[in-house]
Amino acid sequence: MNRRTAARIGRYLLSFALVVVAVAAIYPLLFTVISSLKSQTGFAHDPLGLPTAITFENYLEAFRRLDMPRLLMNSLVTTAGGLIISVLAALLAAYAVTKLRIPGGKLVFLLVIITLTIPGQAIIYPLYQTVLDLGMSGEYQGLILVYAAFGLPLGTYQLAGYFQQIPDELIEAARVDGAGHFTILFRLLTPIATPAIAALAIFNFVWMWNDLILPLVIMGGSDSKTLMVGVSLLTGQYDLSVPLVSAGLIIALLPVLIIYLVFQRQLVAGALAGSGK
Amino acid sequence: MNRRRITGVLAAGLTAALLSACGGGGDAGSPSGATGPVTLKVLTWEPGGSEYWKQVKTAFEAEHTDIKLEMQAVPFDKYPEVQGPYITSQSGPDVMANNAGLELFDRRGAYEPLGAKAAEINKDLVTYSGACEGFDTSKPCYGVPFSYQGNVLYYNKQVLKAAGLDAEKPPATWEEFSAACEAVTKSGKTCLALGQSGTFPAYWDFPEIARNYLSEDDIRALLAGTISWKDPKLVSVLTKLAEITTKGWANKNAPSITMLPDGADIFQRGDAAFAGTIISDAVNWEAFGKALGDENLGVTRWPVINADAPLANKFSGIEGAVYGVTKWSEKKEAGLKFITWLAGKKNGELWVQHGKGQPLNKNVDKSLLPSSPAFQKIQELIADPTLHAGVMLSGPEADALARGWQQVTLGQLTVDKWADQMQRALERSPTKKQGK
Amino acid sequence: MTISTAPAPDPKVGKATAKPGRRRFRPGQARDWWLGAAMVLPAVALAVTFKLVPLGRGVSTSLESSSGFGESSFAGLDNYTRMLDDPTVLSSFRNALLVVATLPVWIVLPLVLAVLIHQRTPGWKLFRAVYFIPYTIAPILVGIMFRQILAPEGPLNTMLTSVGLEPLALEWLNGRYSALFSLVAVALWSFFGLGVMTYLAGLAALPDEVLEAAYIDGAGFWRRLFSIVVPMLRATVAYWSVLCASGVLIWLFPLIYALTQGGPGDATMLPEFLVFQTTFQFLDRGYGSAIGIALFVFVAVLSIFSVRHMFKEGTRKR
Repeated sequence: MNRRTAARIGRYLLSFALVVVAVAAIYPLLFTVISSLKSQTGFAHDPLGLPTAITFENYLEAFRRLDMPRLLMNSLVTTAGGLIISVLAALLAAYAVTKLRIPGGKLVFLLVIITLTIPGQAIIYPLYQTVLDLGMSGEYQGLILVYAAFGLPLGTYQLAGYFQQIPDELIEAARVDGAGHFTILFRLLTPIATPAIAALAIFNFVWMWNDLILPLVIMGGSDSKTLMVGVSLLTGQYDLSVPLVSAGLIIALLPVLIIYLVFQRQLVAGALAGSGK
Repeated sequence: MNRRRITGVLAAGLTAALLSACGGGGDAGSPSGATGPVTLKVLTWEPGGSEYWKQVKTAFEAEHTDIKLEMQAVPFDKYPEVQGPYITSQSGPDVMANNAGLELFDRRGAYEPLGAKAAEINKDLVTYSGACEGFDTSKPCYGVPFSYQGNVLYYNKQVLKAAGLDAEKPPATWEEFSAACEAVTKSGKTCLALGQSGTFPAYWDFPEIARNYLSEDDIRALLAGTISWKDPKLVSVLTKLAEITTKGWANKNAPSITMLPDGADIFQRGDAAFAGTIISDAVNWEAFGKALGDENLGVTRWPVINADAPLANKFSGIEGAVYGVTKWSEKKEAGLKFITWLAGKKNGELWVQHGKGQPLNKNVDKSLLPSSPAFQKIQELIADPTLHAGVMLSGPEADALARGWQQVTLGQLTVDKWADQMQRALERSPTKKQGK
Repeated sequence: MTISTAPAPDPKVGKATAKPGRRRFRPGQARDWWLGAAMVLPAVALAVTFKLVPLGRGVSTSLESSSGFGESSFAGLDNYTRMLDDPTVLSSFRNALLVVATLPVWIVLPLVLAVLIHQRTPGWKLFRAVYFIPYTIAPILVGIMFRQILAPEGPLNTMLTSVGLEPLALEWLNGRYSALFSLVAVALWSFFGLGVMTYLAGLAALPDEVLEAAYIDGAGFWRRLFSIVVPMLRATVAYWSVLCASGVLIWLFPLIYALTQGGPGDATMLPEFLVFQTTFQFLDRGYGSAIGIALFVFVAVLSIFSVRHMFKEGTRKR
């Protein structure tokens, strides 16, 4: 066996390992799709096999029980709001700390980053109390700002790390040309940081979209449920219809996949621009 | 305070600017004006399912045009996390619910006591003591129940037949049950479908064994926290619970699954002879009848251990969710109207028809009751009720019961050590401190 | 799909133009100072209002003894001393340490996969797309799915048995350690795609020539990985490590909730779940807060190296 054959076998083995991981990654999703096409009794009898009869009843039922336009709007407003504010706040803070180098910047940075390690379960009571004190319980802005605060530390870190590597000369040259700080930040640095922002957007969008406890605690009322809260209500106190919940979750997953596909293009474009290719 | 307000205003301004910049946003919950009907906010986990609650809203609003219901539905398992902050901040819904028993008593500070009105409102109910302090209707009552709940043993007649057993005469004593389990296991099926995770062991299994050793006074002592878990009676209860799994009656993965949905699924799939589940809401005669066929489904009382025990042949019954008016509500009148309606005949009938539950209202039209033989049998079993020992346990006790049982099953713990842990859990229960 | 978390825009340019010396604020830059302060204000306001103020309130709750929803009284450090002889608290933190011990896997596995995809292993486009899917699936669904998959007669054990690995077909969630590590594996399944995406981004920003040179050089895969790729990807590796270190205990929470409730016994009890139980099920808010604060300190200490790194990354002067 010569070296080239060995190398080829090695490559095949590697591919095989990647295939195994891919199957592991995709199988549960297939399982969910299949479950969503079974009837409740069909699922109870054979949770794992292929359905004997395909039914779309679960999807119809999910649409019947959920006020889709309203839930979608609630989810979009709060997720997009939280996302945009956290990225904006992170952009500004990262610029001020890394490029303006304001005194006390290190402290500010530490203050923001340390909030990453605060466990959510421990602050539900005081967080609600705080939101209530601000008169924002049951209001979009309450949830949006809390999302923004929870998304902030990682965003600040990521963008600060990114800006750090952009040479000061670039900025000084722009200053000489008469550009203000905001022009520099939004016209010069933000485009360069597009990949980082896209990565942040995907990461934050997914968790905010899928989150249950913050919308439940902060939004309360029936009209301001998010889509994920609506889907979770497809389970009763004691009965859990896996097919129905699966159908609801597949529906809820679609916007996430769309966002992912949209931002994926930005990631490629940005990365190319950023690395100067 | 000042700083917080400033930051809040700043942040709110930022949001507002942003939302309008995004070209939309939408109104953040339009405050209804002072005119027009009163809007009642109702916090519920929708026991009985969303269809039932839709019916409640429609029917109630049709009868009370001056009141609108705004249902705030929360998934059952997230309920404490949503309700807790409301209670500590004394804000939120006008009407809300908790399960009858200690769960409700622990939160009594959040509810407006009904006072003298309690007896009048609840007059048509079979029982409502679970809504009153210490299960005593002469003490303050905090709300209105409308469903009845408790545990029975469902069985699959086909599985019993296949194991060579008489499907019309299910085992009635502990010994007979043991023999039946041996036969079922030999036939390749699980005898008792069981999940030991979460609070199900405390609320579903424990009271059925406890009836064989405790008197009603003992059960009240359990509520007050005055009986020790090292008391021989309670140790006997734990011993018998342990036997269920150590004798191999249950499925092997019982320690790591919950009774719902996993344990009940084993039974629904036809892989187990017995399952101890509830009479109302879900995983009851209705769901099982659908899965296995009404003709294959049997119902019986949990096997009797001590035939001489005073409560051995009774039914450990408990009211379901209790709806009460919150202390901070500014619409107490309307709230009272709503819960009074919940106790009424109309809601009892909706509960039977759409909630698949056991109604508490005595005047429910009998012709609406289901014809399933299992349901009929349940009516016999519940006719002679007693206190439910499970709902007397505090959170730490219910938790320690489940964990200890899992460890005993896996051979990591002895029953005596389990009793020690239970006692520690009792001493650690913040809400039973005042009971001493 | 390439995401760049911490790219190095053409290193040559950076080097050539790098200027020594730190810029300090001069009096004439007062306007800049105000501008800078205004710029950090939104971030500081958010962090203070919705994280630090609640944390502070949590600390004050942790000094109280509360009984249900009734009156609470000042209890000093009682809740903290109580933790020291509470076996459940101790085992929850012991379990947390076991989980933390798996962090190297969290950091290395996605890196290896990302490098394999980056070097165009056949089928890489498909893998790149598929690996990200698990992260998008909502945690409540992950729990439901894996309850079925990990069942004693579930697909995992069926598969193991069919390829002759029957001894490995355990009752995954019953065992003292297998339960905890099953949960960690499920969480890893959920999040490895995010790691792959993060690393691919970092890789995409590296100059291809260096990687290709190493490849043609015939350097072995692992040597290439650790002596060439990792040093160049330092910033990305650090970012991902921080994300994992601060996130892993939180990510496990919904899985514990859906799969084991911390059992059997307290085999899968982790501090975050214990905080939830103590606060919301046992109604012991003071004690729950105290455990929460202890968890905060634990995670903070755990992340300290990463945080310190982040700190340097964020504010390093050229």
